[in-house]
Amino acid sequence: MIPQLDYIIDKILPAFVTFYLVSLGHSIFEKSGILNLAIDGVFFTGTGAALLGAILPTIYNIPISPPVMGVLVATLIAAILGLFMSSVLTFLPISHGAVGLSLQFFSYGVGIMLGYYVRLAYGTIYGVSFARDDVIYLSIVSLVIGVVLHLLIERTKIGAAIRAVGENPHSAAALGVRVMAIRIVAGMIGFALIGFGGALFILSWQRSWDVKLFTLGYGWLAFATALAAGRHPIVLIPVSLLFGGLVNSQTDIQSRLGIPADVAKLIPFLAALALMLIYSTTRLRRIFASPSSLGKPYYKEEKSI
Amino acid sequence: MRIVLVRRKKPLKYGGLIVALLSLLSGILVFTIFAWLIGANPYPVVETIATTFIFPGVVKDFIILTLLGYALLIAFKGALWNIGAEGQMHMAFLVSIYITLIVFFTTEKSLPFYISIGVILLSIVAAVAAGALWGGLAGVIKAYAGVDEVPVTLILNYIAYFIGDILVYGPFRGKYVYGYARTDLIPDPYKLSIPVQRQLSGNALIDTVTGYIVEFATYAVWIVALILVLIFTYWLLNKSNIGLRIKILGSNPDYLVSLGYDVRKTTVLTFVLSGAIAGLTAALYYHGSLYRLEYPLEYNTASYGYLAILVAWLSMLDVYLVPLSAYIVSAVILGSQRVSSLPSVREAFIRLQLGGAEMAFKLLMFGSILLAYTILRFIQDYELKVVS
Repeated sequence: MIPQLDYIIDKILPAFVTFYLVSLGHSIFEKSGILNLAIDGVFFTGTGAALLGAILPTIYNIPISPPVMGVLVATLIAAILGLFMSSVLTFLPISHGAVGLSLQFFSYGVGIMLGYYVRLAYGTIYGVSFARDDVIYLSIVSLVIGVVLHLLIERTKIGAAIRAVGENPHSAAALGVRVMAIRIVAGMIGFALIGFGGALFILSWQRSWDVKLFTLGYGWLAFATALAAGRHPIVLIPVSLLFGGLVNSQTDIQSRLGIPADVAKLIPFLAALALMLIYSTTRLRRIFASPSSLGKPYYKEEKSI
Repeated sequence: MRIVLVRRKKPLKYGGLIVALLSLLSGILVFTIFAWLIGANPYPVVETIATTFIFPGVVKDFIILTLLGYALLIAFKGALWNIGAEGQMHMAFLVSIYITLIVFFTTEKSLPFYISIGVILLSIVAAVAAGALWGGLAGVIKAYAGVDEVPVTLILNYIAYFIGDILVYGPFRGKYVYGYARTDLIPDPYKLSIPVQRQLSGNALIDTVTGYIVEFATYAVWIVALILVLIFTYWLLNKSNIGLRIKILGSNPDYLVSLGYDVRKTTVLTFVLSGAIAGLTAALYYHGSLYRLEYPLEYNTASYGYLAILVAWLSMLDVYLVPLSAYIVSAVILGSQRVSSLPSVREAFIRLQLGGAEMAFKLLMFGSILLAYTILRFIQDYELKVVS
């Protein structure tokens, strides 16, 4: 094999798939006008749920391959969290940021509860992870998901409804869009993708899981990625490729430049901050404007009482 | 038949208090249910959490969380979500460590009074400045680049952790640590806690009372600082022009513009004040109880910066209720720690091979209190009605 190809399969693709899926899910979710500060927590819950899911086939003799089951469980649990968050925030006029942040801490706890037992009982999870070359198919799948979602948002009625709800839920409701239903759809798809990304983080990239994983803050890096790419499924591809490569090449950067490990850990976060600054201070902010109702509590006045 | 949400004509009486109590209860309930699910007896769990409210060990957390609660209160009054108290504290720790362990390091057991006081004051002032700068940085990014302050402060937390890791692993590593990646202990002359000896009498009531007295005496300096910060925050928010600007910023920024004030400068100023108090807290905590930093920093702190969010929210942003809310939060958190050492819980942990997962319980409780609080808050201004 060509050494460059090995490098891409081992280093770039796993990180790219994780970052792409998480930031893609986050983008779809925020397109519907709900500020998502729970991203890091949901990401971590996804990792724990994937670990639990990956051992289920062996225990209960389910004829599904372990990593696929892990992905299914992770997306399911994340989608439930998405259902909860988007329905609560649409039904009640409460602060999006506060709910997201609280849900983040709560889902850190859920993630530990889901993964801890498996971690202790099984130790290594190489046996239930994706094979090395599977990451190529996973990348293709994620790119297809991205393109399909792009078409969904730009070309279909549901996509138009999602954008309308994000821009102005009141006008959308007046035109006959069911705000609650649309936000739930966007929320569940979005969080399911974040859970998918979390699952791939441990089953295809790290191939290990630890309680303290939630202190890594990779969900926040994906947050910055999505913001800098303007929540656009296609623009996200190069940005997450860049970011995934940067994060996963830490050790190479470290050894090549001869810097301490902690300096290398610092680089992605500085880059995330820089990306957010570049996005906010240049014309990108106008080209990829956030949905105008992002983070605004939604309250529909009742006229009939 | 359907359920609709209607705005109340008048806000619910005692609404804030009801919401705070309900969310606390829901957090403890979730915690107890999980303890019950893993097979522990729920009665001692509830009992332990309840008795922690009269447990002297609460005092330390109570003081630190009250101070941080005031730091966040100022930012939250301006509707600026400073989630970065953790990072502001860590930058302040580093500055204090630089002053006490590098510049004025000493192996003497005692130093002349004026030197000790001078170094401690210098360390505190520098820590306040470091916290204010780190907070101000977030404020500048929020005000002049328009990036949401929550991701910014969170990312700044990680940056502060890793800067600390680099320093503690490298230049700040102690000379007397036997190869551990941590700093030296703070020299005795720079300690702010007052060692108090006491004998246990065997009577629970008397021991509890003396326990409280001992704790308060140990942290006497912190208490003084706490009172000063309380007075400062009260004055700032209720008597000063700056405080008024912060409050208007929180309720109606457009009004602030029409009054002729600069919203951006007010934002930065709010973050600077908030960070300064977080820095002060960090210096006091380091000099009074922490004494050293250990690598890696992100695993070895009590995450007071995040707990303080809980304190500020449960206080309903009321200056007088911050100490009460800090006391409740520290009792609940300490209670959850004590629960995990109960025999029945410990046994369940070992049986289920969950030893070490206590962190999950704490996060679940913390998260569900916050979640219940943020969701239930709607009952203050709205009510649910069933219409047919």
